[in-house]
Amino acid sequence: MRKSYVNNNIKQKEFDALIKITVEMSRYLYPYIREILKSKEDHEDNSVIWNDFNKRFIELIKERFNIDSIRVKKLLNQAETDEIIIKYLLTLSLCISNQGNQKLKKFLFDF
Amino acid sequence: MQNKLSFHQSAVSLEIIGLPDYSNNENKDQISIISQWKLTIIDKPLIEGKIEHLGPIMNAFYIYSNLLIKNEIPLYESKLIDIKADNLHIHSIVLKSSKPNVKPLNLKIGNSLLSDTINCFDQLNESTKVRIRKTDLPYSMSKKLGFGVINKVKFLNFIMPPFIAICSLILFSSSFIYFYNPVEEKEKNELINPK
Repeated sequence: MRKSYVNNNIKQKEFDALIKITVEMSRYLYPYIREILKSKEDHEDNSVIWNDFNKRFIELIKERFNIDSIRVKKLLNQAETDEIIIKYLLTLSLCISNQGNQKLKKFLFDF
Repeated sequence: MQNKLSFHQSAVSLEIIGLPDYSNNENKDQISIISQWKLTIIDKPLIEGKIEHLGPIMNAFYIYSNLLIKNEIPLYESKLIDIKADNLHIHSIVLKSSKPNVKPLNLKIGNSLLSDTINCFDQLNESTKVRIRKTDLPYSMSKKLGFGVINKVKFLNFIMPPFIAICSLILFSSSFIYFYNPVEEKEKNELINPK
């Protein structure tokens, strides 16, 4: 999915480290994640926070991902993007506890 | 005098009231015998109950959130609590009282309050000061399960290339059987070395 053509398999230690970083970051950013989720609940179509986040998310995907890939095209499809973003944000917001690493791993295996 | 412990996460707080188990030589600030719990969600009615209600309610939230993440039908129903999704952002909760003639309590919470509530439950689960019988959490993954999946993938990656190589060698060499006739070969040998 990424623009990079290097296709190395991730090692167990690297996978664990990435999980740890992700959980620490979501713990740190929880107030922001919560606000983004909340903004969509309050104002269905007219939320500045949600629109800003969505815009930046799409910008980053176009910048770093291979937009010719079908899976990336799916991410850029407006109808499906909202659902995907909410699911990812909710997943991150549920993994901020001390055992968040284990929870995130479990969620990733279930995806 | 009863002990009180509170767990907070943004707009939600969970209060546990109870006593330590002195017969087990516990500290006086520990809670092992829970007499009451209260779940306060800002702008929503107070939810409270006894210890026998806490486990099923926590489990309901955990199972429901798991269904949401796994893209399965987000619906949980039990004698005590029903949770279902109204849409992507709003979840309906129906809490049924165990007392007769008490109407069920209907709540609507968004994703933010749902994650706050589950994070409060996580704090309670991880607390060393409250000892409750840990409920069987649906996401409580054993390490073996996680690594098992990775090991399986690794094993397949390791075994597949030589397996395919050997199979293709067998298929390729079996085609040579059409060019080799052992009877003709035998006759040739007899002509060269006549006895």
